[in-house]
Amino acid sequence: MSRIKPLWWVLIIACVALFPMTLGGMSPYRCGILVLAGIYVILAVSLDLLMGYTGQISVGHAAFFAIGAYVSGILTTSHGAAPLPAMIAGMVLAAAVAWIVGRPLLKLKEYYLAMATLALNVVVVTLIVGLQRLTGGASGLKDIPSFSLLGIGFDNQVRYYYVVWSAVALVVLISLTVVRSPFGRTLLAIHSDETAARTFGIDCARYKVRVYVLSAVFASLAGSLFAHYMNFLAPDDFGVDTSINILVMLFLGGIGTVFGPVLGALFMKILHEVTYGFQDYEMFINGAVLILVLLFMPKGLYGVVSAIGRRLSARRSP
Amino acid sequence: MTGEKGNILEAPGIEGEASPSDAPVLQVADVTKDFEGVRALDGVGLTVRKGQIKALIGPNGAGKTTLLNVINGLLKPDKGRVLFKDHDLVTMRADKIGLLGLSRTFQLIRLFSVNNATILDNVMIGAHKKLQPTITGSLLFRGRMKRIEKTVRDKAYEALRLVGLEDAASNQPGALSFGNQRLVELARSLMAEPELLLLDEPASGLNDSEVEGLMGLLAAIQKRGITILLVEHNMKLVMSVSDDVVVINFGRRLAEGTPSQVSNDPQVIQAYLGADRIASWVRP
Amino acid sequence: MAGADTSQFLQFLFSGLTAGSIYALIAVSLVIVYKVSLLICFAQGEFFVIGALTMVTLVSKGVPMPLAFPIAVVVTAALGAVAERVLIRPLRNSGVGTLIVMTVAISLTLRGSAMLIWGKESHVLPPFSSSHPIGILGATLQAQVLWIVGITCVVLAAIWLFFEKTALGIAVRACAENPLGASLMGISTGKATLFSWAWGSAIGALAGCAVSPLLFMQYTSGVMPMVKGFIAMSIGGLASIAGAVVAGYLLGIAEAYAIGLVSSQFSDSLVFTILILVLLLRPNGLFGGAKRRDV
Repeated sequence: MSRIKPLWWVLIIACVALFPMTLGGMSPYRCGILVLAGIYVILAVSLDLLMGYTGQISVGHAAFFAIGAYVSGILTTSHGAAPLPAMIAGMVLAAAVAWIVGRPLLKLKEYYLAMATLALNVVVVTLIVGLQRLTGGASGLKDIPSFSLLGIGFDNQVRYYYVVWSAVALVVLISLTVVRSPFGRTLLAIHSDETAARTFGIDCARYKVRVYVLSAVFASLAGSLFAHYMNFLAPDDFGVDTSINILVMLFLGGIGTVFGPVLGALFMKILHEVTYGFQDYEMFINGAVLILVLLFMPKGLYGVVSAIGRRLSARRSP
Repeated sequence: MTGEKGNILEAPGIEGEASPSDAPVLQVADVTKDFEGVRALDGVGLTVRKGQIKALIGPNGAGKTTLLNVINGLLKPDKGRVLFKDHDLVTMRADKIGLLGLSRTFQLIRLFSVNNATILDNVMIGAHKKLQPTITGSLLFRGRMKRIEKTVRDKAYEALRLVGLEDAASNQPGALSFGNQRLVELARSLMAEPELLLLDEPASGLNDSEVEGLMGLLAAIQKRGITILLVEHNMKLVMSVSDDVVVINFGRRLAEGTPSQVSNDPQVIQAYLGADRIASWVRP
Repeated sequence: MAGADTSQFLQFLFSGLTAGSIYALIAVSLVIVYKVSLLICFAQGEFFVIGALTMVTLVSKGVPMPLAFPIAVVVTAALGAVAERVLIRPLRNSGVGTLIVMTVAISLTLRGSAMLIWGKESHVLPPFSSSHPIGILGATLQAQVLWIVGITCVVLAAIWLFFEKTALGIAVRACAENPLGASLMGISTGKATLFSWAWGSAIGALAGCAVSPLLFMQYTSGVMPMVKGFIAMSIGGLASIAGAVVAGYLLGIAEAYAIGLVSSQFSDSLVFTILILVLLLRPNGLFGGAKRRDV
């Protein structure tokens, strides 16, 4: 696992912090794009923990995105709750669902696991549409307040940008710490060869569930942030198509690297904005991108970037 | 019980010899396993005594690896018992067995290789029993984790030194020869500080001088008090290093005893090809 | 009263036969691809839709139906074959996970293409024969349903004939059961896989074309049939064509009764409950199908 030198970290943090004032030029529109991008970064990173590190395929990760979004939405509208407690409630519910569903689900392999995660996604969306009185059903949940913390409102795109990207930083930091720890090494063993892992005393089921819960919590966090940004939720945003989009971002960026999904989500979101008039092509482009990545660039954008980085440093030290 | 030992290379830094005692460490009794109409194991049994190196031999397809898989919990038999440290392993999950003090290597190499895992990563995972990491542990007790990791890393280097692959620590498994990959598996299996080590054809893919090295390695491991059950086809290795041999064929035990007893057993001779061959393997 | 019950019973049965035929055919196409290449194609639903929509386009351009039908099937079969050769074959040494993601990618791309070509609207074909429904014991049966069931039977008979009686079919079966042995005997596994994908997408397209006079097809119409076909395949025993057919019809008929007697939401819940039961009860080991033997 390549490490980024501290100097690069400073540079990255500086870029993120200064963006609204420079390229963004305090422009709410540009900040808005990056707010959404940040939310998808969290989603992609959370999926990476599950798929890239632990090797469990999921084509239904948007289920947890939905849970966080709707719990935040419902609690802050009809129940007047403050956004932060609502967010935490969402994470708790997502964790609970992942815990309960996780054990039987993660026993499944490959195609069955893929189908099961898809089924979970569909079930969650069906529930959202069905529980109309609670969730607004197919017409959506409206008038969700903007995020606020201790009385400070973040209804401004620029301010919210900092909230979201602080969350991104937290998620990335936690993910990096976890994957570089002995826990991360255990996931590697499970991903490579469960049979051998078991021989060394690794309770594969338990570890898989724990990662599933962590990734569900992060996805739920993204969902809550999404609810407070859009101020409106519609079930269509949480279906299998969204789950597959997250998958595309993950593979494009570079699966199994934490930084990869950051790049992938940023790239896809910005691309989406830039090609605004070509929305109809989005599905086709996503599919084509995924195909091309799988065939020609399996390590994703991050793989390309690190390869270039290696070549450059090899040249420097002959 | 005296064994027959051939050349043992110098094992550095070990004092005294741990001699095999009579206490059984592993008792396999009456184990039967059917696979879709094929009887892989047919009421097979064996006993491994503490501190000994016992070889499990037999023609191809005799059920040796199947038996190891049953012992180690990866396969559940239809009948029978496997007693290890007062536990019947047949009733236990494989990962629980891994925590008990039993470790193994595999016939078809099973090193971890996704996400650029290194040899060192592989060996360190062997110590999982000691670490049993959690997410909260990784996040909240970072200092302690780092210290335990350092201890494990040092031990891993020591294990790699023992098998002579210290320099390969940061390579990936794919870069090593099959013989060396087997040695890495061996190093990994030692990390769990097992009382009983199951080795599945460790000499496969090794040339003659490497086999000599392996013999010394096995002796060194034995000197640490670790009991070894060894599946092997390399008769030279088996006859040199084992205290005791059990022969199985068609999932059944044919013979069990010292190397010379077993190699003189007419049933064993019949099972393998030719009396002359076996006789020549036993050192005079 | 008895009359009303019987007619209701029959009515649901007829709609069940339609859905059942779709699920049976899709399940069979999944089984064929799985038996030979150990892959489950997530894009199968898209072949179903593309077959139907291609036929719609041909017919709207004036091609007579008896001609449009086989052309649409052949075009879709070619699409399946190209997908296998260009997209799946290069990954044959990668893990199953990668292959699953590739089939998801193919599904996404095909759906996206369908949307670009045919838009978001629904399309429908005129029925193959008359559009006058036939009255049977108080229930109405669209003639098209007879076509659907008939085509299904013909397809199944053709599959049976092919795999049991023709040299090529037996060779492909040999590949499926024993790839090493088959290749030793000169049968190319690569060709067999290509062939199975072409067959699979052809059958999907057949189902789509047969059903499109009764259903409004749009670019997303393939997703649920694929999931239900997968359910039928799993119930029937992954590598069993007969099982897939029986399970497909049972699923379709159960669904029709659920929709008719209760509601369509209940029916969805029922289908997903069946899926969950299938996933929980099917022993994993059977799925290892695997290119490697375990331990």
